[in-house]
Amino acid sequence: MISATEAPAHGPGFLARKDLGALFALVRDDGRRLIGPTVRDGAVMLDELDGPDALPEGIRESQTPGRYRLEAGRPGRLFDHTVGPSSWKRWTFPPTVPVGTTRRDGAVVAFEPATPDAAPLAFLGVRACELAALAVQDRVLLGGPVADPDYAARRRSALVIAIQCTTAASTCFCTSMGTGPEVSDGADVVLTELDDGFVVTAGSRRGRELLERLPVRLATAEERDAAAGGVAAARAAVAANAGVAAPGLPSRLMAALDSPRWADVAERCLTCANCTLVCPTCFCTSVTQRSDLAGAETLSERTWDSCFTGSFAAVAGGNFRSRPQDRYRQWLTHKFATWVDQFGTFGCIGCGRCVTWCPAGIDVREELAAIAPPPRAVVTGMHLPAVTPAPDEAWLRPARVVATHRETANVTTLTLAWEGQVPGAGQFVMAGPPGFSAAPISVSRARRGAIEMTVRAAGPATAALTALGHGATVGVRGPLGRGWPLERMLDRNVIVVAGGIGLAPLRSLIEAIAAERERFRDVTVYLGARTPRDRLFVGELGAWSAAGIAVTETVDRAGADWLGRVGVVTHLFDHAERLPEGAVAAVCGPERMMEATVEVLRARGIPDERIFVTLERHMECGVGLCGHCQLGRFFVCRDGPVFSIAELGDAFGREGL
Amino acid sequence: MARPRLGVVKFASCDGCQLTLLDLEDQLLGIAEQVEIVEFAEATSARSAGPYELLLVEGSVSTPEQAEAIVELRRQAAKLVTIGACATTGGIQALRVFADHDAWRASIYPHPEWIESLATATPIADHVPVDAELRGCPIDPGQLLEFLTATLLGRRPRLPDEAVCLACKRAGSVCVVVAHGEPCLGPVTRTGCGAICPAFGRGCYACFGPRETANVPGLRRSLVVLGNAPADVDERFAGFTALAPPFARAAAAGLAAAAATGGDDARR
Ligand SMILES: Cc1cc2nc3c(=O)[nH]c(=O)nc-3n(C[C@H](O)[C@H](O)[C@H](O)COP(=O)(O)OP(=O)(O)OC[C@H]3O[C@@H](n4cnc5c(N)ncnc54)[C@H](O)[C@@H]3O)c2cc1C
Ligand code: SF4
Ligand code: SF4
Ligand code: SF4
Ligand code: FES
Repeated sequence: MISATEAPAHGPGFLARKDLGALFALVRDDGRRLIGPTVRDGAVMLDELDGPDALPEGIRESQTPGRYRLEAGRPGRLFDHTVGPSSWKRWTFPPTVPVGTTRRDGAVVAFEPATPDAAPLAFLGVRACELAALAVQDRVLLGGPVADPDYAARRRSALVIAIQCTTAASTCFCTSMGTGPEVSDGADVVLTELDDGFVVTAGSRRGRELLERLPVRLATAEERDAAAGGVAAARAAVAANAGVAAPGLPSRLMAALDSPRWADVAERCLTCANCTLVCPTCFCTSVTQRSDLAGAETLSERTWDSCFTGSFAAVAGGNFRSRPQDRYRQWLTHKFATWVDQFGTFGCIGCGRCVTWCPAGIDVREELAAIAPPPRAVVTGMHLPAVTPAPDEAWLRPARVVATHRETANVTTLTLAWEGQVPGAGQFVMAGPPGFSAAPISVSRARRGAIEMTVRAAGPATAALTALGHGATVGVRGPLGRGWPLERMLDRNVIVVAGGIGLAPLRSLIEAIAAERERFRDVTVYLGARTPRDRLFVGELGAWSAAGIAVTETVDRAGADWLGRVGVVTHLFDHAERLPEGAVAAVCGPERMMEATVEVLRARGIPDERIFVTLERHMECGVGLCGHCQLGRFFVCRDGPVFSIAELGDAFGREGL
Repeated sequence: MARPRLGVVKFASCDGCQLTLLDLEDQLLGIAEQVEIVEFAEATSARSAGPYELLLVEGSVSTPEQAEAIVELRRQAAKLVTIGACATTGGIQALRVFADHDAWRASIYPHPEWIESLATATPIADHVPVDAELRGCPIDPGQLLEFLTATLLGRRPRLPDEAVCLACKRAGSVCVVVAHGEPCLGPVTRTGCGAICPAFGRGCYACFGPRETANVPGLRRSLVVLGNAPADVDERFAGFTALAPPFARAAAAGLAAAAATGGDDARR
């Protein structure tokens, strides 16, 4: 795409208002559905339009926090409004789309990814801030290691006809975020409305070809000036609004994680999620299943979700963000701080939708000013380079269970035949029996041709996994995430600390070390289990010792037949006189156990850079697209699940992040 | 494999929720293939058909006899699921707790002494443990089907405990609070109905009862700021799920205000 400001050879053109119908006709001839603004139920909505008559003629809106009303605008003008509650994301990233279908016919199971809907669309009336929003979502959904295939298809096929703003609402703050009101790039055609028509420029070859087929004449100097004057008026109006002091905001905001204002805003916030759903950049989704009664066919669908819902950060047995203040903090810090770390832009483009459509009238500009007050000098600007889409993602693939081994009453190790890439130690897969949600499960052993998963029945999906027998089919995606840093452990002493099921991802590490034992120095494994009956991999501990790995065990509670140690796992260090010099530690277990262990390791002189943990978070996609697993600036699925404590910094063990 | 036995019984209620099962016309045959429907009757009529693998209970407990019956039914049910606003929160008849029960009974029935009723209409969960709830007045057929399907397949049924607002926004409706200043209880109400009322330009009446972290004081304040009279806002809570703890205070205040101004209004 070339820049829209780069005018075609003959300069900007002029399209009379009466000829707008020709544009509609052309777009339709090209087989596109035209989406644009129209008045519905008292608001300007983005719906499919039949013709120019459907546009909101002579309409403007009054927008203030929590309040929106239509008013009379300049007579005859079709784009005198600004932005309503719907955004183009409804069309590029619809509320619900199919992800895939699981079919079961006797023992035969098939996972069929959905075919993306690529019916071509044309967007009429895209504002500068909204072009920026599309660019932000491009980065999120196409710019990572895995691209969203449905979004990619819709986005690529859409023709974008932008309109420059000549008015502004009181909730607009595009100038703060550097996204408007002037259209810079990302559009195929750019219109600027005058009283009797539009000054038009092409922003791409596709746009130029379209203009060549329309009754467009060269714009006069007066028309060009009038267009520029209209946009300048909009800039002046936005600049007079309250704004956001964007420069330096991420660090100011992250320094204010303990501000008392979070609790204050939580009193007003209804955790209703309206802000996130009207926001044109929010991308969080969940995957749900729908099946027929016999379970022969299950449709998995991706649905808009929000960090304000109660189950968003819930995991089996707990919730990382149970308090409303944690949820508001996630929203605000994500939009204005951690998004920058993750994607290189703000997550906010200054459209003001979340301000107007918050029923409690909470204004992000006001909250930011209170929580992270601006420094003196304010500079603006946000650069949005184009992104190259990553290859399309694969959905679940079938994997056959070739062996099962019951570890404890509720933990089973499944061996799956595996043709894919051999997972590294500490990587995980998304795995689920047909018809169930896929759960993140660590690979507890990997070799050519087979992987093992050790699963604790914590809820319905994991219970169904542990109940699978030889020959059953599991849907698997992976290997995913970043595993244990084996290279950091070479020629060093290694300490491994596991609590309960946390031994599963560490087993792959221990075996990787055992396989090349001479490349590591002293290796000590500390194991904690609730009771002797909950110990995992009991038959393998001898082999670890034989390989020169010291294994020490403890249980929280013991019966008479247990002769070993009793007490929580951190107490094992009390028996070790001193921890080995320069050691690297790998820890996995319940979050509280990891916090306690890290404290002890630090106290024994191991620096944060050499303490690694693997974290559990709610995961829906496993590839950085659904947003559920966020911890501050990290996506645990993609950037972790293994992290050093130094990387996590303050985020480790902080309540409500 | 023997089909699981499904029972449907009712207490004080209007039958609307159990009729939802019959509304699932297209799926009814399939359901009957998967489960054996053994009881579909008023809870207080013949009740010999237990035990049940799954018992759907409609209605609230409003007579002493019902209070005994539910304990017995619980014993016979492996999984007991309450369906509808009456069973899960007390229902519209629970409004009686805000009134003088005896005076009310006397004003409605010619022979109040013949009417045996409790001064309360309470949710089933006040009497026995409940395994799952299907909310709504009436319940949503889609949720009922999802619940039955997921239960049969052993997966977690999708009954999200989130605000009605999410369904409203996904449907592309215009927010009636922001665009029209209408009082709407969507932000504090559990989803499930598909946000029907806002789609027709009306505020939500909280048929599905409170959601988790329902910020009732916050919503009352903002609806008043947006131009509604405090009493009108409170009265809105005095509906199908008034007795649900997060709503009860506002509901009581609303009824008191209505009684002070309109008299009969309190007894809608
Ligand atoms: C990187 C990683 C590696 C892991 N490795 C292993 C492993 O090797 N072995 C192992 O046994 N476990 C492992 N886990 C944990 C495992 O993924 C969870 O125990 C599993 O997701 C539980 O799923 P479930 O469907 O059985 O249980 P559920 O309780 O149904 O949980 C399923 C998901 O739904 C959410 N949820 C819970 N309740 C609700 C509700 N009421 N409404 C909506 N959503 C809800 C949960 O937060 C959870 O994410 C790992 C987790 C992570 C993140
Ligand atoms: S955070 Fe608010 S102002 Fe910023 S892009 Fe999202 S909806 Fe618009
Ligand atoms: S986590 Fe971020 S992207 Fe997701 S809903 Fe919240 S603010 Fe929006
Ligand atoms: S900030 Fe407003 S829109 Fe967002 S969840 Fe809170 S009350 Fe709802
Ligand atoms: S972003 Fe979806 S699980 Fe991490």
